[in-house]
Amino acid sequence: MLGGVSKMKKIESRSIIGSFIIALVMSIVWSLSASAANSVREESHAVVILRGLPTLDTKHSIAIVEMDPESENFGDILDEFDQPDIEQPLHHLYYSPAGRLYATGLDPKCSFAEIGLNRDASGKPVVSKIDCIDTEGQMVGEDIMWHSVNGKDYMFVTFMGGTGGADGGSIGVFDPQTNAVIKIIEARKSEVGDGKPFIMYPHGISAYGDRMIVSSTIHPDLATGVGNSITVIDLNKFEAIETIVVEAAKPVGFPSSPVEVVFIRPDIVAGVQPAVLVNTMFGFETWRIPYNEADKSFGAPEVVYDGVKSGTGVPLEFYGNETELFISHALPGVVKRYELAKLPDLVSSGPDIVAEAGAHHMIFFTSKSGRKLVAIQNNLLNLGNAADNDPTDIDFIASVNAHSVTVHDLETGENLGTINFREKYNKGIDNIEGLFSSGFVHHH
Amino acid sequence: MWQYSPAAIRNFSAPFIFGRFNIPEDNPLTEDAFQLGRKLFYDPRLSGNNQISCSSCHIQALAFTDGRSRAVGVSGVELPFSSMSLSNLLWGPRHFFWNGRSPTLEAQSLLPIQNPDEMDQDLEQLVIELAADPEYEKDFARAYDDVNAENIAKALSTFMRMLISQNSRYDKFLRGELTLTDEEELGRKLFVAHPDVKVSKRGGNCVDCHSQFLTGGFKDAYDGFSNNGLDGEDDLQAGLQAVTGNPDHKGLFKVPTLRNIALTAPYMHDGRLPTLEAVLEHYNGGVIISSTLDPLIVEANNIEITDGTSIGLSLNPKERKAIIAFLHTLTDEDFVSDEKFSNPFEKK
Repeated sequence: MLGGVSKMKKIESRSIIGSFIIALVMSIVWSLSASAANSVREESHAVVILRGLPTLDTKHSIAIVEMDPESENFGDILDEFDQPDIEQPLHHLYYSPAGRLYATGLDPKCSFAEIGLNRDASGKPVVSKIDCIDTEGQMVGEDIMWHSVNGKDYMFVTFMGGTGGADGGSIGVFDPQTNAVIKIIEARKSEVGDGKPFIMYPHGISAYGDRMIVSSTIHPDLATGVGNSITVIDLNKFEAIETIVVEAAKPVGFPSSPVEVVFIRPDIVAGVQPAVLVNTMFGFETWRIPYNEADKSFGAPEVVYDGVKSGTGVPLEFYGNETELFISHALPGVVKRYELAKLPDLVSSGPDIVAEAGAHHMIFFTSKSGRKLVAIQNNLLNLGNAADNDPTDIDFIASVNAHSVTVHDLETGENLGTINFREKYNKGIDNIEGLFSSGFVHHH
Repeated sequence: MWQYSPAAIRNFSAPFIFGRFNIPEDNPLTEDAFQLGRKLFYDPRLSGNNQISCSSCHIQALAFTDGRSRAVGVSGVELPFSSMSLSNLLWGPRHFFWNGRSPTLEAQSLLPIQNPDEMDQDLEQLVIELAADPEYEKDFARAYDDVNAENIAKALSTFMRMLISQNSRYDKFLRGELTLTDEEELGRKLFVAHPDVKVSKRGGNCVDCHSQFLTGGFKDAYDGFSNNGLDGEDDLQAGLQAVTGNPDHKGLFKVPTLRNIALTAPYMHDGRLPTLEAVLEHYNGGVIISSTLDPLIVEANNIEITDGTSIGLSLNPKERKAIIAFLHTLTDEDFVSDEKFSNPFEKK
C-alpha cells in the first residue's frame, strides 16, 4: 500500500503550451499596453503550490506571487486559496493547450485536479477552486503531457503509485475535454514476466509521434523500491513495448532512479536526429538514447553528463527556450545551460546559474525594465527538517530543501532576489509555474 | 419607466484566459454606473432628434451590430464604416473605432453622439435634457455625482465594458464542457495554425491577427491593426494613417473580434463582404497586394508559391467549410439574449 505516500516526492517537468503560450503572452501584452496609469504586470506573477509545514501549523495552498525583484511587491502573495481538507498537497501545475490549469497531487484522494482561475471585477486573477478528478484508483500524480496520436488528442498523466502495490505505476490516458479516464496503461513487473517491458513508478514523460517514453523513478513511499530504467510505449496500442536500463554509477548506493525525460525531436530542434535525454536522480547523470525514426528503434544508452565528475547531484528538470536547454541539479543547487541547436549533445552555452540547494522547477519572464529573468524553485521535497522536529523530514533530503525561489538575470545568472517561503510564510514551496505559463517552449 | 437589470457587477466573472484587463481608476465598475450606462445606451434622447440611440446601430440580437454594410444615423447619410460589434471591450482599452481614432472607451462613447451623421446631439443640450429628468438626476447621483458629459461617457463605457461574451460553444469547449464536432475541431485547429509547407502543416492563419481566445486583434501599440488585402495601392483608404500620419499605416484597420461573427454580417470595415464564405474566399485567393499588406498574410499559404505574385491560403473547400463551422461556435446565444444587456425601456 501507499501508506507512505505522505513522504513521497516528486521531481517533474513542465508542459509545452504552444499556441496557448503565444496567445496568452500576446494577451498580456495587449492588456498591459492598455493603461499606463494603472496597468498591472502579470507576466512576472507565478502560481505556486505551497506546502503547509506540520510543525509550523500552516495549510497547503495555491498562491499567486510577484516574482519581479524590481517590483515593490516582490515576494508578496497576491492571492491564495487554501487546499481543501486533503492531507497531502497538490504537486505540480500544468496548463493545457486550451488554457485550463491542472495539478497533479500526492494525496490518494486527489492525485489529479483541475484548478479554477478567474478574475474579479477589478481584473485581479483569483484561484477559485480545486476540482479533484476521478483517476479510477491511480495515485500520486506526477507529470502531465498533452499529445495527439493518429489525429486524436489525449491528456497523459504519470501516476507514480499507479493503482497501488510494491511495483505499481500507471499512465492515465484522459479525455482532454471531459477529464474522463479513457485507459489506464499498466504493465507490472511482477505480472509481465522476466525480460518483458514493464511500467513501474512512472514519473517523467515525453513523446514523439507514436512513441512515448516514461521513466521508472521511485516508489512513492521512497522505501519500497527504486527504478533504473525507462519504458517505451507504443501509442497505437497504448502498450509498453520496451524497457531500457539507464544505470552506471551508484554514487549514493541506490538504483539510478531516472526522473525527467525529454524526447529531442524536430519540433524542438529543426533537423535533429531524434534522441531521448534522461536525468537520473540518484545516478547524478544525464543519459542519451538515440532513436531511429525509420524503424522506430532505440539505440544503446550512453552517459552524456556525469554529475560525480562535475560536482553535481540529483539532476531533475529539463526546461528550454528558443535557444537553450536548461537542466536543474538539486545539489549543490545549480542550473546548467546548453545550446539548443546542438542537442542531443550537451554543449554548454554559458556558466551555471547558481541557485540554492534543491534547484528544481523554473519559470522564465521579464522584469519591469525588460530584463530577461529566470525564477528557480529551490526545493526537492519540502519535507521539513529533522532539526525542527518535523515529522515529515527525511534525512537525505533535508539538505536539498532551501524552501526558496531565487530570481536571476537569465543572461548573466546574477541573483537579483530571493524569496524564502519558509521564513516568510512558514511554508514550503512545491512547484512554480508562470501565471500565464512560464514563457517556456520545450519540455516533454 | 425603465427596468433595472439583474445584478451585473455583483455576479461579475471573467475568463482568466482572456487576460488582464485594466479599468480607469476614476471609473471603476459599479452596479450603479452599469445600470445608468445601460439606460443611456438605449435612450433615444441621446440623439438630436430623439429618435436614435446607441442601440439603433448596436442591436443586441446582432451582437451589437446593425446588419448593414455601413451605418446610417440621423442624417440618413451612409457612414464610411460598418457598426462594430461590441463585446469584450474590457480587454481592448484603447484605439477604438475601425481606424483607431479614439484612445479610450470614454472618449469614444461621446463621439457618435456628437457626429452630425450619427446622433447629432449637442452635449450641453443633452446634459440639460437629462438633468431635467428627476430619475436620471437620481441615477447620476448614485453612480457618480452630477449630470455632465464626463459622467455620461463614464456610464456608457461601464455598460460597454460589461458586454462580456463568454458562453459560446467555443467557451464551453475551452472550459471542457463540451466536445466540438469533427468539422468544428478541424476548423479550430486550422484557425490557430500558421501554414508551413516545409513541414506539411496546414493552417488558416487566423490567429496571427485574431488572438486565440478573445479573437480580436492584438493590442501592443498598433499591432491590432492590419491591411488584410482588400484594396490595391491606388484604392487604399487612409485607415490608421488618418490617426497616426504614418504612411506605413495606410490601409490598416482595426482587427475586430470574431466573437459572434456569424451574427454580424456583412463583414470588413465597410461591410463589403456579405457572408463568411465570401470572407474565406477573400483570404483564400482574393488578397490584393499593396505596399502595406500585412506580412503575415503575404507569407501564409498552404501550397508552395514560386512566382511571388499569388497570395492566398489555398485551403481546400473542406477546410474552408471547417473554419466557418468553427466560427459559428463563437456565437454566444446567452450574450445576445442576456436580459442585463437588453433595452430597459422595453416591457418584458
